Order: sequence, then C-alpha cells, then structure tokens
Amino acid sequence: MSDKKLNRRGFLKLAAVGATALAGSQVIRHVGASEPVSSGGRKWAMVIDQANCTGCGYCTLACRANNDIPPEISWNVVTKTGKRGDQDVYLARPCMQCTHAPCVDVCPVGASKYRPDGIVVMDYDRCIGCRYCEVACPYGARSFNWKKFDGPNPLVPQWGQPEVERRPRGVVEKCSFCAQRIDRGLNLGLTPGVDEQATPACVVACPVGARHFGNLADPESNVSKLLRSRVSYRLREDLGTSPRVYYLPATEEATS
Amino acid sequence: MKTHRFKITPWMLWLSFLFILLMAGLYAAFRVFRDGLSVTNMSDLVPWGLWITVDLTSIAVSAGAFSLCAVVYLLGLKRFESVARTATFIGLLGYSMAICSLLLDIGRPDRFWHSMVYWNKHSLLWEVTMCVTLYLGVLLLESLPIFANFSLLRSRLPKLAEKLSHVHHFAPYLAIAGLGLSLLHQSSLGALYGVLKARPLWYRPDISVLFIISAVAAGMAMTVLASMVSARLTSRARVDDDVLKRVSQIIGWILVVYLYFRFWDVLSMTYTYQPGRTEGLDLLTGGPLSFNFWVLEILLGIVAPAVILIYKRSRAQPLWRMLALLFVIFGVAAYRWDTNLSGLMIVLSYLPGDPSITYTAYQPALVEILAAIGIVSFGLLSFSLGVRYLKVVDQARKELPGAASKKTRSVPVQSQA
Repeated sequence: MSDKKLNRRGFLKLAAVGATALAGSQVIRHVGASEPVSSGGRKWAMVIDQANCTGCGYCTLACRANNDIPPEISWNVVTKTGKRGDQDVYLARPCMQCTHAPCVDVCPVGASKYRPDGIVVMDYDRCIGCRYCEVACPYGARSFNWKKFDGPNPLVPQWGQPEVERRPRGVVEKCSFCAQRIDRGLNLGLTPGVDEQATPACVVACPVGARHFGNLADPESNVSKLLRSRVSYRLREDLGTSPRVYYLPATEEATS
Repeated sequence: MKTHRFKITPWMLWLSFLFILLMAGLYAAFRVFRDGLSVTNMSDLVPWGLWITVDLTSIAVSAGAFSLCAVVYLLGLKRFESVARTATFIGLLGYSMAICSLLLDIGRPDRFWHSMVYWNKHSLLWEVTMCVTLYLGVLLLESLPIFANFSLLRSRLPKLAEKLSHVHHFAPYLAIAGLGLSLLHQSSLGALYGVLKARPLWYRPDISVLFIISAVAAGMAMTVLASMVSARLTSRARVDDDVLKRVSQIIGWILVVYLYFRFWDVLSMTYTYQPGRTEGLDLLTGGPLSFNFWVLEILLGIVAPAVILIYKRSRAQPLWRMLALLFVIFGVAAYRWDTNLSGLMIVLSYLPGDPSITYTAYQPALVEILAAIGIVSFGLLSFSLGVRYLKVVDQARKELPGAASKKTRSVPVQSQA
C-alpha cells in the first residue's frame, strides 16, 4: 500500500519537474528565435544572371580548386534547364545560404550554423556524419565524403589554389560563399563583390559576368541595384527557406 | 555447471551458429571502419539505408520495456511484472543493437558523443539521441536486478548482488522516466521524417503517431514471442501462459488501432496532388515497395495477426500465436523500411517551374547485410545467454529478488481498477 502512495507522489513530483523543464526550454527557444539572424550591417547575396550564363562550368572548376573539393563532389552544379529562342538556358546552383535553413535546424550537433552575415557554414570538426542535413536540404546542395580524398587535386593549379583545409572522410560538406575569401578580403580593407580577392571564386571565374556578389543590406551595392532594376526569383520560394541566391531569368528581351 | 565433458549439444550448436554470424558482422564492421562508408550502396541521394531500418526496428521492438513497465508500476497490474522483466532485458539489448547500427552508420563514430556536448535543441535527431542515451541508462538501472541473478555473482559477491537487486525498489520511478523518455523519442523517430518540408511524402504529422503505436505492438510482440520460444526450447525458461495470452490479446487490439491510423494516413495523403506525394504513395501501392506494403505491412503485419490474436481460439494455439507475433515484428520492420525508402526514392527538382521527380534506387550492399546480420545475431546471442544465465524468462516464478510482498500481488489490481 505504502508502495503505491510513493508511486503516485513520485509521479506527481516528476510530472511537475518535467513540466517546469519543458516550460523553461520553451522560454529559451523563444529568446533564441527573437535574435536577429544577420548583424554587422552585412548580408551577403549572390545574383546569377541566366541571360548571360553559357553553361561553360568554369564556376564549378574554380570552386573545386579553391575549396579543394574531390572530383566526385560539386558544391556548384550547373544544369541545362531549357531553351529561350535558339539559346540554351542554364541554372547554376551553389548553396542557397537560406535565411531559414532546414540543414541548420536538423543538425543534431549544431555543426551547420548561421554566421552573423547570414552565411550558413559547416563546422567540419563538429559534424558527426549522420547525413540528416543532406536529407533535409531541398536543393541537394550537400555532399557526404563517402571516402577520403587523397592525392593531388587535378584542378590545381590551373583553376586556383586551395584556400581551405581538405575535409576528412565521413563529414558532409557544402558551399560556403567562399567565406574565407570574404573574411580575408575584409581584413585587407577590400569590398567583397567588387575586389576579386574578396569575392567568391565562382563569381571571379565566370567569363561572361553572369554571377554577381555583394551586400544586400547596402542599398547601393551592385546586387541591390541589380535586384531593383531587374525581375528576379529564388528557387523553391514556396518552402519559405528564403534563399540568398537570386536568379535573373533569361527572358526574351534580356537574351536579344 | 556440473559437467565439463565435451559433448555437442543443440545449445552449443546454436551458440556457434550465432557466433559465426556475429563474426561475419564484425568483419563487415571492420571493413566499414577501415574503408569508410563508400563500401556501402548508400549515396548522396539515398543517404540512409538498411542500417537505419535496423536501428528503427531495434528501437521499436524494445518498446515492450516501457509499455509493460508502465502497465506494471504505474497502472499497478502486478501480474505482468515478470513479463515486464523479460521486456526490460529485451529493451536493453534492442537499444544496444540500435547504438551499434548507428555507430556504423555515422561517418564519424569517434564523435558519437558530440550530441551530448553540442546541443542543437531545434533538431529532432538531437532530441532522439539524448533520449536514447538517457533511456539506455534507465534500462541499465532497470536491468540491474536481472544481473543480480547471475549465479557466479551471487556466490562470489553476494553483497553486490544484494545491492543490485535492491534497485528494484526504484522500479516505479524508473518506469516513469522510461515512459517519458520513450514517448518522446519513439514518436520523434517518426517526426524526424515528418518535419522535412523538402520531402513531400514525409511532410505530414501522421508518421510520429504511427511510429509509437507500431512500436508498442512490436515491442510487446517481441517480448511474448521471445518468452514463448525460450520456454519451448529450454527448461530454464518458464512462462505463465495466461499472462502471455492476455498480452497477446492487447497486441491484437493495438494492431486494430494501428491499422485504423495507417489507413487514415494513407488515404489522407493521397488526394493532395502535391508533386512528389502522390508519386510516393504510388511507390507503396503499386510500385517497387508494393509487396512490402500490401503483404508484409498490411496483410501479414497487421490484419492476419490482429485476427489471430483477438480471436480467442486461435490465440490459444501456441503455434498460431507465435506465428502472428513473428509477423507483427516483420510487419513493423517492413513499415520502417518503407517509410525510410519511399521518402528517399523520390527527389523533387529544385529547378524553377519544374515539379519533376527523379526516382532513385537502393539495394543494400553485402557488407551492409552482413553488418545487419551481425547486429541481429548479437541480440539473439545476448538474449540466449540471458535466458540461460540470468533467467530473464522466468515468468512462472512466485518470488522475485528484492520484491518484498508477493502474497498480496493481486490485491492492488482490483483496488486500482
């Protein structure tokens, strides 16, 4: 009998503790959610002009060399999407750097995270390789290192020099908007999107100027001006991920 | 313990058989750790495969532990106490199996502890990992009185054995903790799929409900089946068939609830015409997963066992009952496999104005199958040793170590009801 009393009292106690803990975690979550995602006055964005893109794939090659990516992985995938007149239309897809990134939400160890300037970066020392982010990403922007990448990178040196550490086997990797170039450039007093050394490698490598990069928080930046003057869209806007990669469609007027 | 003369017994053959399978699994694990996950058939399009199914199924068949412990210690139905003991041991093994398969599956098993240290409270997988780890601790504590049964321990270290069996006094508290943790992660394992907006087939709230209902059915089924099989094979296992029949009947009714929700789940997701969702359903009802869905999941996994277990005369037939319970377990495993794969087999295009779908395919590689077999044989081997040396299936016994007043055990049942 006394045994049963203990049960009930214990149950109530534990239930109270559990409810308090739950309430507490809700409060914490709320505080966390109200924090601004971007700060420091910078919000990096990329604008890709489909009217200019010829599908040459230089962006992918420069990306592979500068970020030391194995040949079977692409951080930047170029797909032929159709025709406008007699001209093929292509779509280059880096990481979308979503404002509400599913990969950041699902990562069990917080290895995917937002930088104050909005870039979604990977902490390769923290990633456990569960691949949940890969399953969650609507854009297929993430790749797993199924095997170790050893030996020389076939694209070095003609397409660039590696600027970041090679990722180990067993972690997921993705495009970082060449955060290393942005950070180094800012330290040197350069402007990303204007000065080549401070701009993502794919933007610099594009031979037809189809890629633009800059600070969306600055109304006078090249990307802000472009987005004001031209019609643009983003991929899978229905999902609410709010990507920071914008596309200028290849309309008849633009191509002619 | 009496004789050490060398003689081939069925017991030794069974152990050697399992040992060989275990070795094959260890070899596969060695290859995976040495060469990386590139030796599997998983890819960036299907990054989760057979091992996730093994992991999910192991956790599902362990659900007997929390549900039966809750029945015994929270509802006060003490007649199920000895069955709950078997379920607890199965739970301990099931969660160990799940952790083995997870360690194989993640790219950096050396960093398994990261989710304990680096919290991302938004992630369902973080919540699942925390709950599974904490619950494994609960199961270990709940199993301590079972380990106190080990004869060597009792003869050599009687004081320690006494202390271990004393943990039994905390059973009600452990049952509460186990219930809470299990309700959280058993459903979250389904929600883990359900929150992914990028995957239209998964993006619905029903999976978490189905995961927890099917887990309770499979967990109880595993407990009853393991008890019955043990009792038929060895005199060291004794069962109270009335109790097992009662649990089997409960399983039958849980299956009816499960069928209802599965039916609702399938129908409610059909007519959305959302790209990727209808196609996903077609995979199940008419595509490559249709045999799994109709035969293993629905017919053999739910309908047939529900009838056998609810209908009194077929339930009383041990062979029919065992067959039904086996089908329940296979059905739930098929459900886990189908859930995982149907979502991954459909990749929706991100290109503008192009709701087209890429179909992917996945067949586990030999090394994945061997590792899975190794994990299952580890469970069977541990359970067999448990039956023999720890008396985990000892349900006909009147006295439990540490449980003080056994004489009054039927009284609380009535006063509670």
